[in-house]
Amino acid sequence: MGAPVLIASDVCKRFGPVQALRNVDFRLEPGEVHALLGINGAGKSTFIKILSGALQKDSGTIRIGGEDVHFRAPEDAIRAGIATVQQHPELVPDMSGLDNIFLGRETASRSLMGRIDREALEARADALLARFAVPIDLSQEVGQMSAVEREAVAILQAIAVDGIRVLILDEPTSTLTDVEREDLFALMNQLRAQGIAIIYITHQLEEVFAIADSFSVFRGGACVARMSVDEARSSGVSLADLMLGEAVGDIFPKKADPDARGDVFLEVRDLSLTHGFENVSFTAHRGEILGLFGLVGSGCDELAKSIFGVDPPDQGEILIHGRPVSLRKPREALDAGIFLVPGDRRTEGLALSRHSLFNVPMANLRRAAGGRWGLKSRQLRSDIQRLTDQVALHPPHLNTPASGFSGGNQQKIVLAKGLYSEADIYIFVEPTVGVDIGARAKIYGLMRDLSERAAVIVVSSDCDEVHGVADRTIALHKGRHVEPESGVFSRDDLLMAGIMGKGSL
Amino acid sequence: MRTWKDRMRHSTRGLGFVALVLIVAAIFGALEPRFLSYVSLNGIARHMAANGLAALGLTFVVIVRKFDLSIAGVAAFCAMSMGALIAAGWPLWSVILAGLALGAVIGGISGIAISRFGLPDIVTTIAVGSIGTGLAFIYTGGRSIFQNFFTSGITDLNDAKLMGLGVSMWLLVAIYALAWFVLSRTRTGLAFYATGENPMAAHFSGIATRRFVALAYVLCAMCTVLAVLLILAESGTAETNKGANLMMPAYAGVFLGAAIMGGTSVIASFGGILLITMLLDGFALMGLPYYYSDGVVSLILLIGVLAFSDGARGTLEALRFLFWPQKPTKPTAKGSDA
Repeated sequence: MGAPVLIASDVCKRFGPVQALRNVDFRLEPGEVHALLGINGAGKSTFIKILSGALQKDSGTIRIGGEDVHFRAPEDAIRAGIATVQQHPELVPDMSGLDNIFLGRETASRSLMGRIDREALEARADALLARFAVPIDLSQEVGQMSAVEREAVAILQAIAVDGIRVLILDEPTSTLTDVEREDLFALMNQLRAQGIAIIYITHQLEEVFAIADSFSVFRGGACVARMSVDEARSSGVSLADLMLGEAVGDIFPKKADPDARGDVFLEVRDLSLTHGFENVSFTAHRGEILGLFGLVGSGCDELAKSIFGVDPPDQGEILIHGRPVSLRKPREALDAGIFLVPGDRRTEGLALSRHSLFNVPMANLRRAAGGRWGLKSRQLRSDIQRLTDQVALHPPHLNTPASGFSGGNQQKIVLAKGLYSEADIYIFVEPTVGVDIGARAKIYGLMRDLSERAAVIVVSSDCDEVHGVADRTIALHKGRHVEPESGVFSRDDLLMAGIMGKGSL
Repeated sequence: MRTWKDRMRHSTRGLGFVALVLIVAAIFGALEPRFLSYVSLNGIARHMAANGLAALGLTFVVIVRKFDLSIAGVAAFCAMSMGALIAAGWPLWSVILAGLALGAVIGGISGIAISRFGLPDIVTTIAVGSIGTGLAFIYTGGRSIFQNFFTSGITDLNDAKLMGLGVSMWLLVAIYALAWFVLSRTRTGLAFYATGENPMAAHFSGIATRRFVALAYVLCAMCTVLAVLLILAESGTAETNKGANLMMPAYAGVFLGAAIMGGTSVIASFGGILLITMLLDGFALMGLPYYYSDGVVSLILLIGVLAFSDGARGTLEALRFLFWPQKPTKPTAKGSDA
């Protein structure tokens, strides 16, 4: 195949105490489709962010076409011939596909008053389409396009720059239907035929054999395997085996005693939401932690928000303490005793510019006022002090704005807010995204303590987390829940259930 | 509720504010000795009462991170409506209640349009304000209303004194105290602030954010009615341009106060409006034409907000390079790059 187009060697990246990448070696041949595999937190995203210039490596070298490169910004990467299409491409919905493709690059002259030469633009578009025959109408507004058409526009936008040799696609198929996926693969084949190498991130293992020439597997921040698809096929190696490493055990608290399991606090029967999930049923008991594993796009996040009344379900029943309830907004869910620790704490959980005294009582202002109107400041302060001690907020400053804390400690403030709201059903969505190991262990421990008096549900796309902390697990795959055949999921079965939608390997 | 360090920082800002007020008073006093006379100070207090009520209403809207540009229009329409009712012989208390109710309805229209139906706040309030300005003409076609004004007792709001202080000032203090209690000592206040800080997180916390946004506009319009009531009391007539001068001081007071005190609050607005009113009256006393004084005060507002805001401090640092060009910046680099 000739000289590799891209070689990375010994690339390291550290975020605070977390070694995100350790000595990554990576090679990409010209004109190959190369799949990047790995579970959440394995380092794939960090690695492609470095390749696309969004992050800077701490050490190591990256060579493109034999030349050492160092990217300080995404523009540097594009200039060096690496284009990236994000998982959710940023396009302007009110503009046509054509205008989106050339947005900001309409004219050859960069002057502010440079006129847009429509004819030249259309000629460039024709040239682009001559190379890649995409069966879409580019004069259509992007907002009117289907998911795969938008993806195609984003790809054309990325490669409209001259000299692109490498294209990075971050989970392009996560929002596509099977038919749309075939269209995307057709476009990828055309790109490959033009000599553009593609790095392709996916969680869908069957796609690797359908489209890729070769693949690399990331695990624990290192690239642990690189082989061609043919090799993998002939040797019969299991991709899932490669992706799984040793489970992290020590940060998780003890499992609950199955005999101590209490009453059913929450039951969900055949819950459905259009474009979210279908016929999901489960029960959550006091005294146990229920784990819900699902990848991005599996409907997990939607399910949690639906139960919490943010986006009420279209069909199905929610029963709390055995009584059916109808929760149309978060206020009603809170009154019914449900608290949601949202997946995006910065936008959904906290007023970042405010301190704990402001944030913690927010979901239970009635308690803060002792049932009256005026706040009981002294009582409030001592309650919050006790809760921040309980969650081990560090540094233990009640007057520091939430934005001044690390991700883990911000999450502890949300937890204190949850504890203050005195719910008896807690739903944690992606509770440890951006949370360091120490704070993770503390948060898991708090969940265990909480489960003694409440039903705790952990919703996460991190299989190790769900398996590690939960006493009982189910998976969500493409909006449908998958239950273990033998009653209990092993870690690997759970992973496979979330990735493939099957109950066993 | 605060640590020692916090208390210090907070009171430093407060002390700085008091010092600023004293400096402004001293400068005007030196330039124009009449500024510190009893008559002048009383005038400042009266003007501050009207300006301060408008600023207080606006404070609620600014706390939920919105804008209300309908203040002048609401003031004009409500002024003429109350004038017409006085001329029609309604007793004063019923005129005030009717005015407040009218204000609440207008504020409610803006508030619901913005919170429930998601209309842009600036456009909506400009439209509602303009409609108000137009409606102000329906009673007399633009002529002023003064019938019954001196017998209705409305002028007492301007003239009567209680313990040496005008009743309008007492009204201001009473309503500010109530608003301070609500915003900083009740759960309603927390909900207002939460709605402004992060509406999504507030919604996830079960706070009816739309309701609080709508309520802020209702309160703003009602405070505007009280403000224009005091203006009617002072001038003894209702005219369609009454209230045209409420908007700029209100915004200036709220934002200058917030800049100096480090956040929007009732106390910050009180201090802000005190400063702004002193500046306006001081310039008027020195004979600066009214058509300049608005501009001068607005300029001071911009400088004040810039000087006190954390975000702008970095910009000021950057501006320093304009005066000390030997610092390492290359303004020409941009040109060659393009």
